[in-house]
Amino acid sequence: MNTTLPLWFRLRRAFFFALLLGLWAPVKIVWEQHIAHEQDLLRYHDVPMTRELRDELGQGLTIGMLSGMRSVVADLVWLNVTVAWEDEQWFKMEGYINLCTSLQPRSITFWDIGGWQLAWNASVSAMYDRKQPDPMKRLKASRFWIQKGLEVYLRGIENNPEHFDMWAATARLYEQRLGDYEKAAYYYEQASLRPDALAFYERFPAIMYGKAGDDQAAFAAWTRLWNRLTPEQRLEKQHQLGAWQYAAIRKLEDKLSIPKEKRVFPN
Amino acid sequence: MISSLKRIIAIGRNTLTEAVRQRVLSVLLIFGLVMVACSVFFSKLLIDEQIKFVKDFGCGAIGLFGFAIALLSTAQLIPQELHNRTIYTILAKPVRRVEFLLGKFLGVVLLLSLSVMLMSIAFAGALYWQEWQGIDSTQIGYDQRTPHWQSSPDMVNMYQRDILEIENQVRDPQLIEAILLIFAKLVMTSGIALLISTFATSSIFTIVTTFMIYLIGHMETVARQVWLGRGAETTLYQSGFLGILSLLIPDMNSFTIVDEILAGNRVPWAHTFNLLGYAGVYLIVLLALSEISFRYREL
Repeated sequence: MNTTLPLWFRLRRAFFFALLLGLWAPVKIVWEQHIAHEQDLLRYHDVPMTRELRDELGQGLTIGMLSGMRSVVADLVWLNVTVAWEDEQWFKMEGYINLCTSLQPRSITFWDIGGWQLAWNASVSAMYDRKQPDPMKRLKASRFWIQKGLEVYLRGIENNPEHFDMWAATARLYEQRLGDYEKAAYYYEQASLRPDALAFYERFPAIMYGKAGDDQAAFAAWTRLWNRLTPEQRLEKQHQLGAWQYAAIRKLEDKLSIPKEKRVFPN
Repeated sequence: MISSLKRIIAIGRNTLTEAVRQRVLSVLLIFGLVMVACSVFFSKLLIDEQIKFVKDFGCGAIGLFGFAIALLSTAQLIPQELHNRTIYTILAKPVRRVEFLLGKFLGVVLLLSLSVMLMSIAFAGALYWQEWQGIDSTQIGYDQRTPHWQSSPDMVNMYQRDILEIENQVRDPQLIEAILLIFAKLVMTSGIALLISTFATSSIFTIVTTFMIYLIGHMETVARQVWLGRGAETTLYQSGFLGILSLLIPDMNSFTIVDEILAGNRVPWAHTFNLLGYAGVYLIVLLALSEISFRYREL
């Protein structure tokens, strides 16, 4: 380097570098904060890398995660869920499900299938466990796994409250595995209120209240449903409703001695 | 201006031709295509899981092999020219250094576009294969459960809903957003490699340093939040270090929003454009820095 040249000239590359970076850096930080804020609004949950997570994943998967391959890492862990299911290693399976749902808390597939694996597969397997002669212990074990599945679904709702699938899955669990129709009605109702919900979920609360024996609530649910419709939709709906549903409503009206003017189907 | 553009395009085209002829990059591309195609072989899984896996592995392969192609092709741009001494012949002609640099970078961007496009076509093929498999297995499932299900309107409705669900998952237009974001991240990585290669003396140095920056870029969010006082307590030195990291290293982690898209969640186009804009401006800064560095480099 020619030392007879002035210092600023000799360091001109560093000077221009610093100048450009100095101009860009504040813009960069503000922009990145804006992006982060938008992602918070989108409920995008990033997974903090902790010591426990690193131990659970192992070195290879941790590097994969740090390289921005979180979904692939979660999928690779999920393959172990299927293996554990085939080997009927339920506690192992539960651990993998929890790890996957922690890695990708916005993936409905993991919550939905994870809860189903525990509340249905693990629970039924425990119920018919040939190694356990005591039926009460089998029942207890079966209930334990249903509870674990329910916990998965409830955490799924916490992370994805706008997805109807999570509410509907929880409702199904209450209905089919626990026989708690009141709670099933509540969760079906919540599912029906979410965007993109399948149309038939709106009828399920009324059916669930009916199954629970709460005729007043069932009738109220049917009426609420009916009152949401326009006259044209009512005509169409009356045509669409299956005979058994129509009969169920009429039966309720008769059973509860509903006055004609308050009936869903007055004629 | 136009003649300058012509020179840049000519160098870019030449760089692309050279890169295509390199066996390492072709092998990487083939591996990428194979990995995308292999994602359909998770037959033990349920249909929802299979579709998720194809999407994750497909986009993962595009990102991973695209990263390798971006890194290897950019890292050797300038060192190879210096080693072969071709740079002296080019710069002796009426070609400015900035034109040489932009032309080289254009070649890499073209190479990346080509690679991402080919892998995306393979990805689309894998997805359609999965859709076809899914529809087929759904129909078999209905046939096995209820022999004459076509005669029941309720069953037909349910079947159509299941098919629609599969189609919606596979033909998700948001996947275009995901591919664009992956591409933007790859071009940014190339920009970083180009900047480093303007002052590095070997390709290895460029590759290792870019890889480290790429990894640190995925943790920049944490560094920034702590530096801005939204995390753990730090000493003055720690805060200074995190500040330098936050100010210099690009935020690569924001691009993992691709995971949200792959998980089936809606990411508005406005947010995608925000990220693409960030990548674009960052790239301009990187190119400007590369130009400064290369202009004053003694050849």
